[in-house]
Amino acid sequence: MNFELTEEQSLIRNMVREFAEEEVAPTAAIRDEEERFDRALMFDKLGELGLTGIVFPEEYGGAGADYISYAIAVEELSRVCASTGVTLSAHHSLCANPIFLFGTEEQKQHYLTPLATGEKMGAFGLTEPSAGSDAGGTKTTAVEDGDEWILNGTKIFITNGGEAETYVVLARTDKNAEKHHGISAFIIEKGSPGFSFGKKEKKMGIRSSPTMELVFENCRIPKSNMLGEEGHGFKVAMKTLDGGRIGIAAQALGIAQGAFDIAVDYAKERQQFNMAIARFQGVQFQLADMATQIEASRLLIYSAAYKASNGISYSNASAMAKLMASETAMKVTTQAVQILGGYGYTRDFPVERMMRDAKITEIYEGTSEIQRIVIGAGLTR
Amino acid sequence: MKILVCIKQVPDMESKFKIDSDSKWYETADLVWRMNEYDEYGVEQAVQLKEQQGDSDVTVLCIGSDRVKETMKKALAMGCDRGVHVVDDAIFAKSPQEIASIIADFSKDKSFDCIFTGMQSQDRGSGQVGVLLAEMLNLPSVTTIVDFSYDDGITKVKRELEGGIKALVSVKGPAVFTCQLGLNTPRYPTLPNIMKAKKKELLSVPVADLLHVESNQETAEIFFPEKKSGGLILEGEPADLADELLKILKEKTTVLS
Repeated sequence: MNFELTEEQSLIRNMVREFAEEEVAPTAAIRDEEERFDRALMFDKLGELGLTGIVFPEEYGGAGADYISYAIAVEELSRVCASTGVTLSAHHSLCANPIFLFGTEEQKQHYLTPLATGEKMGAFGLTEPSAGSDAGGTKTTAVEDGDEWILNGTKIFITNGGEAETYVVLARTDKNAEKHHGISAFIIEKGSPGFSFGKKEKKMGIRSSPTMELVFENCRIPKSNMLGEEGHGFKVAMKTLDGGRIGIAAQALGIAQGAFDIAVDYAKERQQFNMAIARFQGVQFQLADMATQIEASRLLIYSAAYKASNGISYSNASAMAKLMASETAMKVTTQAVQILGGYGYTRDFPVERMMRDAKITEIYEGTSEIQRIVIGAGLTR
Repeated sequence: MKILVCIKQVPDMESKFKIDSDSKWYETADLVWRMNEYDEYGVEQAVQLKEQQGDSDVTVLCIGSDRVKETMKKALAMGCDRGVHVVDDAIFAKSPQEIASIIADFSKDKSFDCIFTGMQSQDRGSGQVGVLLAEMLNLPSVTTIVDFSYDDGITKVKRELEGGIKALVSVKGPAVFTCQLGLNTPRYPTLPNIMKAKKKELLSVPVADLLHVESNQETAEIFFPEKKSGGLILEGEPADLADELLKILKEKTTVLS
């Protein structure tokens, strides 16, 4: 057992941290304020750095690195800007990864390679107005028509929606099948006839990440764009979310670490009652709890990532990592605002944004309740 | 074209430094290490020159313990072709003359066309290694360069002088250049290049094989400067404070004269 990062992992952390601090951090507050997605910075630059295809083999344009490197990259981006972190996570885990896992060789060449090189951006369409945690409630339909599939329905809360070129979308192909049977996965390109975008969500946090509605009105796609086997879409979705949870856990970890770093620096500087507030035991106890929870989250995430890279089943591990890290992010950012007091509540300091950003990590890619269901079911199977 | 770039691993300058027990150097435990900033400009310039010339080979050389390998990997990931790690666990105790002589001994029969170093290290800051190295190799040296161009055996560089003045210097044939802030913007080592760096050659050479001179100087002690007396704190009502401040500025400074 070895708890040290490898030289490569360490170089990746330094590189992403340097990039994040020098280029992403300076505009994080204003992008949040203006709810503005900056594709050149938040995606194209990641492609140039080789971060858009971290875990995929070189033959598909990836870097051939491991899941720990991926977690580190999302963590370091999210440490300064959670919106940039989730842009990468949704693209990499939720779109490129299912194509890598379930795509045919032709689909991988055609769709995965441009995603991995960062030429194209990806998104994932699962959630619907009446199918959130209960993915079996999917109402979007796909009907076979000659050489094509015709899709009808609406997907909501889609991260990278509108901006992405490639979408992995779940739709019901068998109306008569029970619940999660009869659902299939499809690869749909922006610009396909009948595929349009609905409203852009106005959110509490991750405001610089676009969240859009996908609308399918007699949307026609080639028959060859089915991803995986017909009727196996639920399996595609669940496997995709296993990987996605590592990404969101890493995002939550980054948010927590970012808020913690600011809180520690502030506590050492801030003078009250003629001394730095960091000298008060009450503040030290808070910092101790924050640091301990962050480190515990990091170890759970790296452990799940290690399993993912080494072919060990990691469904429960990634659910535990996501549960722990997202709840830690919420607690740590709330405490960071408390330590910064009135200043922390203003937009002059980033902890206010980080606290708003943290909340979504307890909700998307499986709520904390769903993570507990996954873990509980795994334990009692 | 054969290019050599010499780099040093230094602590992150935002670290909290403590002086070690015998007052010869700083404590190295718990520090975060990175490439000396000025050497990064050297690496970037070396790689740019290689890209411009094609059919070139960039060697990166670093002296230190095993810990410096990570910094060398960064240089390899930025585009250097091979690394030479001169293994020395006590590099901090070596004088600039010794360090230059180690590099000179390694380089003497390698016919490098161009050698880059930082203009100084961020921790020792002697600024001597590059020029001493040039002297030992009997090569011309140009220090603190902020612009570099090479064409057909002629190198033209701009040097930074005091008072905002720059000088244009041209050098024929092989030379040593020490790099200053402003020369270029070092690239990020991309992830695919980080992965490729581990396959590049990294040769280890014991320092004893290359060091044949005795030090001509020794650092007797390092210390934090004594704290000067604290500033002047004025107290009272704003109007009185303004009067008092005005009086001090008139009497003790020339800002209002």
